Amino acid sequence: MILFITNKQSEKYLTKLEIKNVTKSFKTTQGKNTSITNAIENINLSIEDGEFVCFVGPSGCGKSTLLNILAGLEKPNEGEVILNGRPIDETGPDRLMVFQESALFPWLKVIDNVEFGLKMAGVGKQKRREIAMHYLDMMQLTKFSDAYIYQLSGGMKQRVAIARALVLDPEVLLMDEPFAALDSQTRDLLLVELQLIWARTKKTIIFVTHNISESVCLGDRVIVFTHRPGKIKKEVSIEYRRPRLTEDPGLQDFQRSILYELKNEIISAKKQENPSN
Amino acid sequence: MSIKNLVARQKDLFSIIIFLAAFLAIWELFFNLEIWPKVSFPAPYQVLESFKNQIEDGSLPSNILVSLWRLFLGFLISITIGISVGLLMVKFPIFGKTLNSFAVGLQSFPSIAWIPFAILFIGINDSAILFVVVMSSVFSVMISTYSGMRNISPLYLRAAKNMGAKGLNLVAYVMIPAATPSIIVGLKQAWSFAWHALIGAEMLITTLVGLGHILSVGREFLLMDQIIATMIVIFTIGMIFDKLVFFKIEEKIRKKWGLSEQTM
Ligand SMILES: Nc1ncnc2c1ncn2[C@@H]1O[C@H](COP(=O)(O)OP(=O)(O)OP(=O)(O)O)[C@@H](O)[C@H]1O
Ligand SMILES: [Mg+2]
Repeated sequence: MILFITNKQSEKYLTKLEIKNVTKSFKTTQGKNTSITNAIENINLSIEDGEFVCFVGPSGCGKSTLLNILAGLEKPNEGEVILNGRPIDETGPDRLMVFQESALFPWLKVIDNVEFGLKMAGVGKQKRREIAMHYLDMMQLTKFSDAYIYQLSGGMKQRVAIARALVLDPEVLLMDEPFAALDSQTRDLLLVELQLIWARTKKTIIFVTHNISESVCLGDRVIVFTHRPGKIKKEVSIEYRRPRLTEDPGLQDFQRSILYELKNEIISAKKQENPSN
Repeated sequence: MSIKNLVARQKDLFSIIIFLAAFLAIWELFFNLEIWPKVSFPAPYQVLESFKNQIEDGSLPSNILVSLWRLFLGFLISITIGISVGLLMVKFPIFGKTLNSFAVGLQSFPSIAWIPFAILFIGINDSAILFVVVMSSVFSVMISTYSGMRNISPLYLRAAKNMGAKGLNLVAYVMIPAATPSIIVGLKQAWSFAWHALIGAEMLITTLVGLGHILSVGREFLLMDQIIATMIVIFTIGMIFDKLVFFKIEEKIRKKWGLSEQTM
């Protein structure tokens, strides 16, 4: 219920999300040794309402960490995150995460997975079912509403995960390599579907990926991160008609410029890991 | 169920019948060889006779009922206490860690060894038997609840919290279901510990009823046929619960989680 109120207030703001000087490091203790990993350093970024932003960067540069901070699942050491003009505090259904691996609940049927957040919000049974079925229908999964999770293919699982997030009408959808484990045909299909859903729901989406063609296909803006500790290296705006297909030749120039930035980072990340080579 | 399954089942049943027939034949043979005196080695038909007598005078059904009732009651108490304390152990980690090391020790503590304590502490009555049953099984439930909860994939917890689950909702709708597969394993173990403890306690804490009590009466009056008949009953009850109740529940949960597709 709270969701609808915040939605109305948000119309006043053009800037949806502001990341201000966010820094995060992890302390790991192994026996007597404590080592500190600086995951991300001094990130500043502002994201507009309804924008589709992609994060790319070498593995381990802190993309998931940043996403977790945005979701409120992790606290930054320094800096803050501002949503609709107010600093975020803890995790909540206004910023929903679609995880790298499927985080669907195996003990629940598909429909109950999709209803989960609504149940937690105290929405009545009938209303819950109605909303959930609407989104399952959007994801073309109506037939599988009574299936258990293990009965779904990888692509279906991620579609359920997206539906499970959308039912809560979040302000921001945070997606952490949601299609990384899928075969390329399924992924291409979902890339188009996701753009259509985005156009229909006008959500602000932050999408993390390793895959440059994926980032260019989806993003209004692609943010390239440096190797660890992750900093913003470059922003590439992609003004191009939609829906886009990954193989669209018009996207290749964008891909090339991002690849160029990323290559150097991956090379220096490798050097950082094995200094001998 | 497919035809193939049905055929496989019938084959299984057939081999069990063959096995039992062979067993009875050998038993009969040894009886006829008269290696042991007849009191300590009755023939199959004598055991059957004892069954018949015990059923006719109503003692067997009532003894079974009394034992099962004690077992259920003890098991229920163990589940209630074990799961509640297990949850508290998760909630208060220092308490949890300390209690866990004690619980692991007590889990392997022989159930018979509780009996003298129970007799002096409570008396020679039903409550003492119940006490022994509970003490023998509650720690398995506690440990499995505790470890099951602690080993929940953090991904589930993050996703649930992200979707607004907290407090009791988080416990009831995420933590308990997520820990269920491991809690079930603990319950199964607790059940068999409770069963062992019950028979032992009934033999040594004399309350005049129960399967364990018939065993000790049989020993005192040299009624080997009655002893064997009771042993068969105990064996059968154990089998029924293990194969029909726990196996089914476990299988159902494993299937739901996608952990087994081809077993059975
Ligand atoms: N909970 C944690 N404890 C300690 N170190 C962590 C933790 N989470 C992440 N890290 C470290 O922080 C760094 C960034 O991790 P993160 O998962 O954010 O990278 P990533 O960019 O998402 O990588 P990938 O693309 O492989 O998913 C890594 O070096 C990782 O080892
Ligand atoms: Mg990651």
